[in-house]
Amino acid sequence: MNVLSFGSRQCERIRRQLDAYLSNELLVETTGEVLKHLESCQACSRELETRTRVREALRSAAAKRLPPENLNEAIHQRLKRTQPGLAWAFGAPAWTLALAALALILIAGAAGQQWLRLQRGKEIVARVLALGVSDHSHCAIKGHNYPEVAHSPDQLRQQLGPQYAGLLPVVEGKLSGFQVLEAHICSVPGSPRKYVHFIARGQGTILSVILTKREGESLPSGRFLVAGAPGGVALYKGQLEGFSVAGFQAQDYFVFLVSDLGQNQVLQIASVLGPALRDAAESIVSARTLGPERTRRALSLAVKRLS
Amino acid sequence: MLFRGKIRVEDFEAAAMPHLNDLYRSASLLTQNSSEAEDLVQEVYLEAWKSFHRFELGTNCRAWLFKILFHRLHHLRRRLIKASKVEAFASPGAEDNVMAEPPVPQEIRDDDILQALEKVPLEFREVVLMADVEEFSYKEIADTLKIPLGTVMSRLSRARELLREELAEVAKAYGIPPRTKEASEG
Repeated sequence: MNVLSFGSRQCERIRRQLDAYLSNELLVETTGEVLKHLESCQACSRELETRTRVREALRSAAAKRLPPENLNEAIHQRLKRTQPGLAWAFGAPAWTLALAALALILIAGAAGQQWLRLQRGKEIVARVLALGVSDHSHCAIKGHNYPEVAHSPDQLRQQLGPQYAGLLPVVEGKLSGFQVLEAHICSVPGSPRKYVHFIARGQGTILSVILTKREGESLPSGRFLVAGAPGGVALYKGQLEGFSVAGFQAQDYFVFLVSDLGQNQVLQIASVLGPALRDAAESIVSARTLGPERTRRALSLAVKRLS
Repeated sequence: MLFRGKIRVEDFEAAAMPHLNDLYRSASLLTQNSSEAEDLVQEVYLEAWKSFHRFELGTNCRAWLFKILFHRLHHLRRRLIKASKVEAFASPGAEDNVMAEPPVPQEIRDDDILQALEKVPLEFREVVLMADVEEFSYKEIADTLKIPLGTVMSRLSRARELLREELAEVAKAYGIPPRTKEASEG
């Protein structure tokens, strides 16, 4: 191993910070200090470059380590074998189940029923909103599937295909202060679900607008779950895996906005985008039944509402 | 938890299954054996399913699954081998006023880096995987591995250094000469 002595105490100090700098774990002021030093020190810049290169190489090589195709199936087989014994309270002894059932009968009244509905409603909202978060996390955050400079509108339309290209002007028109960098159809590994994914940059971060088919699922009604209903669009909000998410449903699609902005900021953006995007999303449904000409008219109508 | 059988299966699917690739990737790089990794990931999902009533929906399911993964892995390792001594790989002290700067090939092939990673002892490998591949924060790593934050930082630093030393061996095999002090400082 080659060992290098440092003449500069500052180089030595900065290099001790480079690991935390690489992991984005430094305080803002220390980051500023490191950056200032790197601007004037070629040796430390090269050192950072090498460390970054090693880390990127590791990340890239590891990303290619995919599970065998049958692993998902094998897990489900094992889960299914365990299911009968776990369907109720996960293998709790029979007497605890009996006690729990008795307790439930005793408390079953209007309040109990309402509480159960509320809990169930909250769970469904969390599960549905998690769809958008998982796609944002996998595609935009971990996959970094967006360019530093925005793709051209033509390219974005091409990536979206004829079915979803009409959504682009709606998203671009209503995301004030954001620039749409990327738009595509994607999926989360291990799931057949498809997402229409717009990635926009603004307010110092990125924000995803995501549509996915409802597949027969619905967000529960109930005023206690609704964060707001501008233009008749019932908005749901949540904080999942460190991201703020706002969601609503159109006739055939769930729509999510996901970002690390504050929950109220995301909600505010969703309330502006919601009505126009819901109308546009409902035009997609029409595409199957109305044919291209009437769909184009329906989309034009949605876009006109932007002005 | 009553009357929730169907919902819970769906909740579990939505919260846990999207992380299969991440879990397998880490499991295979930690165990260095694909069938052991498959078994480990299956065990993780079984354990997660059994404990799902303790998981709070909407919280970080990925971090929770990794916690189970490392718990299982450490349990297996304790049964199989005595953990290698961390001290044996301790970083040079700050008072040495020296810094390792091994040469790294300009083009690093996937095989080279994964082989280099295999040679890094498990205690360090798990930290560098969590930080650099899975992108967990220092705090999440400390929580998952049940080690202090300072230990996360020192192990990560040493892990990256060990990885570079192993890559330096690759560089040597490619005929790339070690850097001289002058060249490094130039």
